[in-house]
Amino acid sequence: MTIELLQLTKQFGKLTAVDRIDLKIGEGEVLCLLGPSGCGKTTTLRMIAGLEFASDGEIRLGDVRVNELAARERNVAMTFQFYALYPSLTVAENLAYPLHAEALSAGEIARRVDQIARILQLGPVLKRRPGQLAEGEKQRVAVGRSIIRDAVCFLFDEPLSRLDVQLRETMRGEIKAVLEGLNKPTVIVTHDQLEALTMADRIAVMRDGRIEQVASPHEIFARPANLFVAGFIGTPQMNLLPVKLVDRTTDGVRFALGEATVILPVNGATSALRPSAALTIGVRPRAFDLAAQPAPDTIAARVDIIEPMGAETLLHLLAGEHELRVVVDRRTRPAIGSTVHLRCKPNQLHLFGTDEQRLDLRTVPAGVPA
Amino acid sequence: MAVVSAQQVTGERSAGGFWAWLMAPERRGPLLVTPALLVLFVMNIFPLLWSFGLSFFNYRANRQTVPTFEGLQFYQRVLTDENVWERFQTTAIIVGSSVLVQLIVGFLLALMFARSFPLRRILLMLVLTPMMLSFVSVGVFFKLYYEPTFGLVSWALNHFMDERFVLLATPAGAIAGIVFADAWMWSPFVMLLVLAGLVSVPKYLYEAAEIDRASWWRRFSTITFPYIKSLLLLAVLFRTIETFKLFDIVYIITEGGPGSATETIAVYVYRQAFQFFRTSQSAALAYIILFVVIVLTNLYLYAVQRREQEVT
Amino acid sequence: MAAAARRGRQRELGKAGWGWTALVAVVSIIYFFPVLWIILTAFKTRTDALAIPPKLFFTPTLDNFIGVFYRASISAGGAQETNFPLYFFNSIFIAGTSVLLALIVGTLAAYAFSRHPLRGNDTYLFIILTTRMMPPIVVIIPIFLMFRLSGLAGSYWGIILLYTAFNIPFSVWLVKSFFDELNPEIEDAARMDGATERQVFFGMCLPQILAGLAATFVFGLILTWNEFLFALLLTGVDTRTVPVAMARTLGGEVGVDYGLLAAIVTLFLIPIFFVTFLLQNQLLRGVTFGTVKR
Repeated sequence: MTIELLQLTKQFGKLTAVDRIDLKIGEGEVLCLLGPSGCGKTTTLRMIAGLEFASDGEIRLGDVRVNELAARERNVAMTFQFYALYPSLTVAENLAYPLHAEALSAGEIARRVDQIARILQLGPVLKRRPGQLAEGEKQRVAVGRSIIRDAVCFLFDEPLSRLDVQLRETMRGEIKAVLEGLNKPTVIVTHDQLEALTMADRIAVMRDGRIEQVASPHEIFARPANLFVAGFIGTPQMNLLPVKLVDRTTDGVRFALGEATVILPVNGATSALRPSAALTIGVRPRAFDLAAQPAPDTIAARVDIIEPMGAETLLHLLAGEHELRVVVDRRTRPAIGSTVHLRCKPNQLHLFGTDEQRLDLRTVPAGVPA
Repeated sequence: MAVVSAQQVTGERSAGGFWAWLMAPERRGPLLVTPALLVLFVMNIFPLLWSFGLSFFNYRANRQTVPTFEGLQFYQRVLTDENVWERFQTTAIIVGSSVLVQLIVGFLLALMFARSFPLRRILLMLVLTPMMLSFVSVGVFFKLYYEPTFGLVSWALNHFMDERFVLLATPAGAIAGIVFADAWMWSPFVMLLVLAGLVSVPKYLYEAAEIDRASWWRRFSTITFPYIKSLLLLAVLFRTIETFKLFDIVYIITEGGPGSATETIAVYVYRQAFQFFRTSQSAALAYIILFVVIVLTNLYLYAVQRREQEVT
Repeated sequence: MAAAARRGRQRELGKAGWGWTALVAVVSIIYFFPVLWIILTAFKTRTDALAIPPKLFFTPTLDNFIGVFYRASISAGGAQETNFPLYFFNSIFIAGTSVLLALIVGTLAAYAFSRHPLRGNDTYLFIILTTRMMPPIVVIIPIFLMFRLSGLAGSYWGIILLYTAFNIPFSVWLVKSFFDELNPEIEDAARMDGATERQVFFGMCLPQILAGLAATFVFGLILTWNEFLFALLLTGVDTRTVPVAMARTLGGEVGVDYGLLAAIVTLFLIPIFFVTFLLQNQLLRGVTFGTVKR
């Protein structure tokens, strides 16, 4: 079974919430729809579920076009952001709820409830009502209710957003383990990138109703397709610096950053890099080394704010008018107001063109002329 | 002149002092509550105590004799009066059947209006209008509708009956006529109450039920009904208390007849007080009614609290 | 197109289309029919009003409406004005003033009950509610005596004060529930920023519950507008309200003039109908005594 979205579009009056997206979720694959609020990810999920109807395009479950089917006819399972537990029913009754549509015997229902309760450790609370449960238990009941029956796919709407940080970590692992056993296409909507990075097989980053990039968590982190994804994924946020190409050297390419220039280790032979082209260069806060001396390939910056983060320290620096975030080891302790020299680590540079799209570059191997 | 102005000054100063005393934070609560309690005391509680006093004395509003203390005699007389018990039974029958009808009709109306559809606002107004009519007009026009010769209802029913239809001639018919008019007038109120309950059900629960492929009945019994059941209880109690006071419609449609078949307790008290001028006896009876209402009110508050617990 | 046709049966939850409208319209019109008949009667001649079989179609006449305001009189030379404009004014004035008064007094008390609880707060609230639940018949004799002794009988202030008392319990309970829903932290924040108590009340709390106040107002109005028993006993010739005047038209020597009565009812329905229509959404909120949290 697969989920396929073809040119899927949703309009609310004049507003286009989802704009011609294409997506295919394979058997057993977990796909995270990730994006800021209002980007259309939840609407997409609800269209797959059948709670909203597509304005245009096609939704296919397996080989079947399901656009016209009501939610109940699609046989999908979904957990809601607010869990949507039935307040008047006990946990056991909540879990059994979806099974009543399948005309099972009472014994079979009891067996399935027991099985799910065992997997999700809900045994002690089976007799309670949702109002008497802790947040984490509610969340597990919601998950249990969606996996108890043999649905064609699983949909999660912000499954962990209401849990506190600690609970979120354990639940992330649990959900991941449960999903691995199911071998069904699964779509998780989240605005939390950590959730997406840890749980997904692939991530689809959305903005304003469009998909910006679909790739594996590693790929999304390592090779963001455009400026939006680069800025959205990764904490602290990637440094995005507007630069102009000056000339090519044997060590790489010389860029102008404000008043200063810096040589960065990228292959200047790429045709996109015409002189004086306006580009954006992306460097993650952890992709800098501190150099002892100024050099042609270092950026000078003044220390503005120091934020200790435990094992590491986050420095807010000013390079001319540009703000830079740099993460250093906690033992490095520059004084506020002092100047440091930053050298970019090779292989960890991202370049974006004027169209905000990624420019694919080969980086210069250290010490080898281009 | 000088003396006067000096007085004014001291007057102002002491007023300022009193003002400051009055406005102190610890008096803020009592101060804000006072006007409301004052009005209630003068217009409700004081008359209530007065009639409590009256119920122990032999007093007739239409005579100038000095009242004599009679103790609990009037209570004894009221409680042992078979007429009173009969009126209570009549009231119970009318209240019971009217509230039941209101509940069913109001509930069905609410189900109709719980969804959103074109022209909803205007159609809702049509259903709400009966509530805005005066008892007098409802009474007069329903009496006309029931009228054997000129009445709409009678005219319509005569097509199906051999005999002339005279609804108000039999006790059962008279009660049915009153219940019909009263329930017609107040079912919209129950509808509003139930509607408020229906719209308070979170939409995601219905969505979850849709995903879980729940049947119509299952969805109703596990989601909708639990959300409105305490509101239904509220409606029952509120309408019971209100219908208990039922006076105008009965008085106009049947005047308590035929015989005393539709004489509710409220009509009975009114007759005792203003036709027979048994002031004290009616006051004693009024107190017994008040007791019943206080019990019902307690139940009502219990329902309100239950509702609050369930919703939060 | 096929796709468009198929989309026709797509329906989002809780939404219904014109088919549902048609069904509800049929039920609503049947429900409304007794009122409709009254309105139709208002436009009928005396013969049409009591015609058998009943006439759904007839030549409308405005005679009844004219009859509300002018009475044929030989001594006055043709037509004589009736007092109905006064009665309409009385009804609007008395109901409007008393509901407004109850709202003001009730809001102050509700604010206190919600934010500055007294000792025995719940007891006070219970007593207040009980006075609302109390059958009027319980207090009617002493009130009647009281009004007669104090000279309040037949005056505006007497009946306004009485109606105010009837409306206070509702106002207090409803408005209190609206205050209870507000977040007191915002008020504390305003106090920290140096706002006076008066500013907190008028500037922060009241604006947030305006819809609730509107609901309370319209609800009180519906309950007061048609009050009959006390108006009958306690108003005089100059302060008579429409329900009482309406009842007095019943006792004519030629039986009830249904056309005239229907015209009065129709005219009397118009103001309350429009107020309710305008505040419909708020009414829905207020109707449950404020116990339904959103």
